Amino acid sequence: MRNTDEKEETSVYRRVVLKNSSPYHYMRVCLVVDDQRIRPSVVELKNFIITGLRTLHGQAGAAINFDVLKYEEDSLTAILRIYSRGLVKLWSSLTLISSYENHNCAFRVNQVSPYLLALTGNSRDLQLD
Amino acid sequence: DATQHRSEELTQTPRHLLVCERSSFQDEKNRLSTQVEMLHFNYKVSVLLPECSSAPSQLDSVLNSFTSFYLIKNLPVHELLDQHFLQTAVFQGCVYALSYRTRIDEDNCVALMPNGRLLLSLDKDSFELLGFEGKPSRFNHRVKSRFVVSVDLTSSCMAPGGSGYLRLVSGLKSRLNLQMDFLLLHHPGGGASLQSLLSRYASSEHRPTISQCRLSDLSCPVLESCDPSDAHSLLEWLGAVDADISWDSSCDFVSTLVCPEPKMTLSSALRVSVCGFLTPQDIQRLISELRCYLEQSRLGSWVSLTVHGFVDSPVSWGANEHGVLKGGENLYTLLMHHDGTYHLHLATGAYDSCPP
Repeated sequence: MRNTDEKEETSVYRRVVLKNSSPYHYMRVCLVVDDQRIRPSVVELKNFIITGLRTLHGQAGAAINFDVLKYEEDSLTAILRIYSRGLVKLWSSLTLISSYENHNCAFRVNQVSPYLLALTGNSRDLQLD
Repeated sequence: DATQHRSEELTQTPRHLLVCERSSFQDEKNRLSTQVEMLHFNYKVSVLLPECSSAPSQLDSVLNSFTSFYLIKNLPVHELLDQHFLQTAVFQGCVYALSYRTRIDEDNCVALMPNGRLLLSLDKDSFELLGFEGKPSRFNHRVKSRFVVSVDLTSSCMAPGGSGYLRLVSGLKSRLNLQMDFLLLHHPGGGASLQSLLSRYASSEHRPTISQCRLSDLSCPVLESCDPSDAHSLLEWLGAVDADISWDSSCDFVSTLVCPEPKMTLSSALRVSVCGFLTPQDIQRLISELRCYLEQSRLGSWVSLTVHGFVDSPVSWGANEHGVLKGGENLYTLLMHHDGTYHLHLATGAYDSCPP
């Protein structure tokens, strides 16, 4: 498989095509809990997700590194960053999480992208009326 | 064996492409304006001006003069083939139309491109009801669950009154009866040539929304070399600035995000974004204005501009079919330097072709 193709025309011009090269994937997720008063802190949220990873993928899953880049406690939305090779494991464990401190809950995955930039320019957020 | 195969599958991600281009405005063969023009349906443009605390007045006036667009409700798609509409709007300049709040991974989506090409991205049932030539979508051609009908309204075989024209109109009108909300604009001239259409249906005019934010003490990578191997860390940094992600996380446990090295601190920076239904022509004007701004500013300065295409557009660049698998991203970032050179990064997701 050819990953890059380079053309050299002038001293300045250069074009490189990178395929599947993003080291990370980014997820915009939202935690929905049936008890509205529950507001986990960012550390509690991260711990909670790690617990979910451990439940589904064992100790190896719990060791997967991911970052909570941004967390809004009011809306319980977060931007996560995960090494691309861990994306499927993180996503699957988020899907199967169903209870937070004995309350029903679910993670809604709103957007996933290899580019963090894409998360701030999602045309599905366009509200006109 | 099977276990190993499964664990390999668990580490794979959908295909994505990033094109990194370096060129110069002085180079006569630079293709920037073509590349900008080819992305027809733009949702958002955001600009980052380092060492700048308030937008220069010329830039402000360009931002405020972005073309207004219209939202038109429950428009029967055959109205886009209306003879009067074709003659007053489509054949005179460029009409941009895109179905609104339709999702290309589950709904029927329609777009009218500025060159007069009408695109219908239809599910299998709708396509069969329509009874018009089309091709299976390239992204699921095996299961054939989605079809793309692409018609050049300016070609002689689609001349109003001709057999091809009548077949498509009757398919859209009596068999499929497709209606949807549309974002619509006309370039140049704004709404005048669209009036007869707009007056017959519930419609509203919208201005693109402008937002400005002043940032201070921003950690910033030194943008000298900009090697393609650093492209992702540069895009991540720009993304973090756009998403208001703080760099100095107090807690390593929560986030290990750091500003790429070598880095510096910008005492101030201005982030401006425009959101709505934006034409490539307006973005082109914004780029020229930013070039003027750069020429007047001091040595070594730069400006970045990021444009996001519509996720649910049936095309991305040119007539390249576009779809959503996970993200549907089609975006580019232009990093312009003081000396006239620029770096352009064009990115697409799984259901897309290689950007131009």
